[in-house]
Amino acid sequence: MSQLKYLVIYLSLLVALVLMILPLPDWVQIYRPNWIALTLIYWSMALPKRVGLWFAFFTGIILDTSLGTLLGQHTLPLLLIIYINLNLYQRIRVLALAQQAIYIFVLLLIDQVIVAWVEGILGRPTPLLTFFAAPFIGMLIWPWVFVILRDIRRKALLR
Amino acid sequence: MKTIIEVRGATLQALFLIGFCIAMMVVDHRFQHLEIVRTNISLALSPLRYLVSLPATGGNWLNDWFTSHTELLEENESLKAEGRILSARLQKLEILAEENARLRNLLGSSRKIADEVIVAELLSVDQNPYSQLIEINKGSSDGVEMGHAVIDDFGIMGQVIHVNPQSATIILISDPEHAIPVQFIRSGTRSVAFGRGSTRQLELRYLPATADIMVDDELVTSGLGGRFPPDYPVARVTAISEDKVRGFVSVLAEPKARLDSSREVLVIKPRQ
Repeated sequence: MSQLKYLVIYLSLLVALVLMILPLPDWVQIYRPNWIALTLIYWSMALPKRVGLWFAFFTGIILDTSLGTLLGQHTLPLLLIIYINLNLYQRIRVLALAQQAIYIFVLLLIDQVIVAWVEGILGRPTPLLTFFAAPFIGMLIWPWVFVILRDIRRKALLR
Repeated sequence: MKTIIEVRGATLQALFLIGFCIAMMVVDHRFQHLEIVRTNISLALSPLRYLVSLPATGGNWLNDWFTSHTELLEENESLKAEGRILSARLQKLEILAEENARLRNLLGSSRKIADEVIVAELLSVDQNPYSQLIEINKGSSDGVEMGHAVIDDFGIMGQVIHVNPQSATIILISDPEHAIPVQFIRSGTRSVAFGRGSTRQLELRYLPATADIMVDDELVTSGLGGRFPPDYPVARVTAISEDKVRGFVSVLAEPKARLDSSREVLVIKPRQ
């Protein structure tokens, strides 16, 4: 029973994955926030003992498979930002949501830049300006993600 | 509170996993060993893919449902007319095909005339805006194999690069990593068309300045390299630019296939 309540973490990641692979018109593509990263950051901030690097690793592999990218291309930046988060979460957790959002922007930007960097190494052109769109949207929706996931966590009695 | 040892442990773990990721990317890029991991995870996630494609499918279904009676009648009428015209043309074509086969026999060449095809539907389009991959709903259980060519009603779309039991991934001819051997119908010049990451453009580089090329020339597959069957339409030349310094011509062409809007595709099985 006590393990069952952790199911909400997997469910929330599943929903994030659906949001990541949901087909959207081409012009909206570059504005799609990294839902998986947002969800993972939340859980690693709330339950750092449970949601850590291995969690990020397996989530990343699944994300890479469903996006058809190189295995590791999204995993590596996820690992990096979760690692940063694990070191900083105690300081970030006490900030106001708006301040947290700026921190989220930086993390999402790191993620985006590494993904684009690997694309660049593979010889695919990446327009520079599109880097900022998705992290920016991610920053704007962070307060909502935070509040929704926090309510879910409290309902599920996770601490 | 975290202790120093915990932090150091996490750092080591992070370094290890990141190193592992880099190794995995290199292996995945250069070799085929990770294909099995990909296939299994894809298989496990296939319900999710269907779930995700539901809104589009549902939309189409509703659209069909509400198409009015008169529209259907009109469509039926026009389809019948089209059918008559096509069957008339087909008769002619059959005669030509027979004649062609006879002549080829005379020449002693054994070129095939019809290929076997598998009809497939688009499942999803790769979300990565920088690469051009699509997913179709037929896989190895339907006879799709790696390297098979994929066409739509208008021309070559791409080729199969990953095969799962129930689905397959297609790389479009417009992907920057893709190149297709082509031939100009009018002049017979052979070349290779590279993708440029845009569904409306292919590029033919380093053609000799003396090559006989004009705007609106049609390109077909040359069949060289053995991947694509010969004589399928590929593209139409839209622009020719000359590199005066090096004496080369590079040509831009627009793909014939509707790479960004076709929902039904055909996978061509080469005949043994």
